[in-house]
Amino acid sequence: MKSAPYPLLFALALGFAACQQEEHSCCVKPNTTANRTTTAAAQPVGALTDMSLYNLSSSWSNQNGEDLKLEKLQGKTQLVAMIYTSCGYACPRTVADLKVLENRLSKYSSDELGIVLVTMDPARDTPAVLKDFAASNSLSPDRWTLLTSTPDNIQELAALLNVKYKNDLKGNISHSNIITLLNAQGEIVHQQEGLGTDPAETVKAVEGLRINL
Amino acid sequence: MATIKSGTFVPLYGADKAPVPVKAFLLDTYPVTNAEFLAFVKQNPQWQKSKVKRLFADQNYLRHWASDESIGADAAKISNSPIVNVSWFAAKAYCECQGKRLPSVNEWEYAALASESKADATNDERFYQRSLEWYSQPNPQYLPPVQKSFRNYYGVYGMIGLVWEWTSDYNSAMLVDDARSTGSSDQQQFCGSGASNASNVKNYVAFMRYAFRSSLKANYTVANLGFRCAQSSKVSVAQK
Repeated sequence: MKSAPYPLLFALALGFAACQQEEHSCCVKPNTTANRTTTAAAQPVGALTDMSLYNLSSSWSNQNGEDLKLEKLQGKTQLVAMIYTSCGYACPRTVADLKVLENRLSKYSSDELGIVLVTMDPARDTPAVLKDFAASNSLSPDRWTLLTSTPDNIQELAALLNVKYKNDLKGNISHSNIITLLNAQGEIVHQQEGLGTDPAETVKAVEGLRINL
Repeated sequence: MATIKSGTFVPLYGADKAPVPVKAFLLDTYPVTNAEFLAFVKQNPQWQKSKVKRLFADQNYLRHWASDESIGADAAKISNSPIVNVSWFAAKAYCECQGKRLPSVNEWEYAALASESKADATNDERFYQRSLEWYSQPNPQYLPPVQKSFRNYYGVYGMIGLVWEWTSDYNSAMLVDDARSTGSSDQQQFCGSGASNASNVKNYVAFMRYAFRSSLKANYTVANLGFRCAQSSKVSVAQK
């Protein structure tokens, strides 16, 4: 809003009133951790580093319908990918690629290495749908976390993971295929691009973190 | 804010040239200025230069300002000029504070089709030529005040010829159907053959914008990239 609002012919009083009230009010929900409130259930953890994705304060639901903040993923290495369950071609391949990685990295327990799938299609992928998807793909609940949230929160996380995606008018979602490796602090340490990519580099990157010496 | 009436347009992507509907929405008359952004960071210290997290803004964030709460010696020249050197996160936070949001790519492109006299100047050769000329000029040392920019049909200033602007879904891919490309969609975006998939090959200016957007990451800050906010229209205007 500018000092001289453009006079509108339409009855926008509603909209204007809403703007005017907000105009000088201080931001109450910044998307940084400045006002982070830790829930009683959260483990006390060290301060997040500047580049940790867990600085996002958005709320998510997992496949069990439990609400959580991303920082709950802290403390172990995580492989993260974005999918949607009705996806016909790329997402099953992404999940297959993640399973290859899981096999190659089986020496790490589920306390040391987790795998996270984030849906790009929150309208259809409810926690229950995600739970079914995990079961039908035999994704062990100890290892795999499936997450959904609001479209805005998903878009924000996608931006940080460098995933580009677009809903077309036919209900398909075009998206880039990237598996991201996060260290225990939630910083991006490696990204594996494409489908059916040789997992060697990602395996090496995980081993480079020396998580279970 | 100005009301942008609902309508359809054919965006640059999509093989089937299907018109995309855009619902009526409100768009800031001007891009956000240095003075306005300064007021915002004074109220929200976590967005000040020295305090912002690198995840949310790279090291060039607000580099043209002297300090956390001061524009510095150039204040007189640029207070009313568009804010630049801000990340997508900072722009998004600013809009959310006002109860607004960033416009989507489709909303922004749809509003940018307007010349002074027409809502859709797609086929106006002279307007197109002028847009091209705007884009081919280097940035002045001091960006002009927002009030001194091109005013379009909707009464919205500076959509073309001032600065590039952030959109909410700048990171939407331009691919069609099932994504079989690896990783980034930059090939489709930047390769010359990508332009042949554009619905209106003439519209090179829009193509430049899509290409530019696809090169961005959310914490990037750029010396000629600013933003303005939008709002979903609370009143649906019945138009027969």
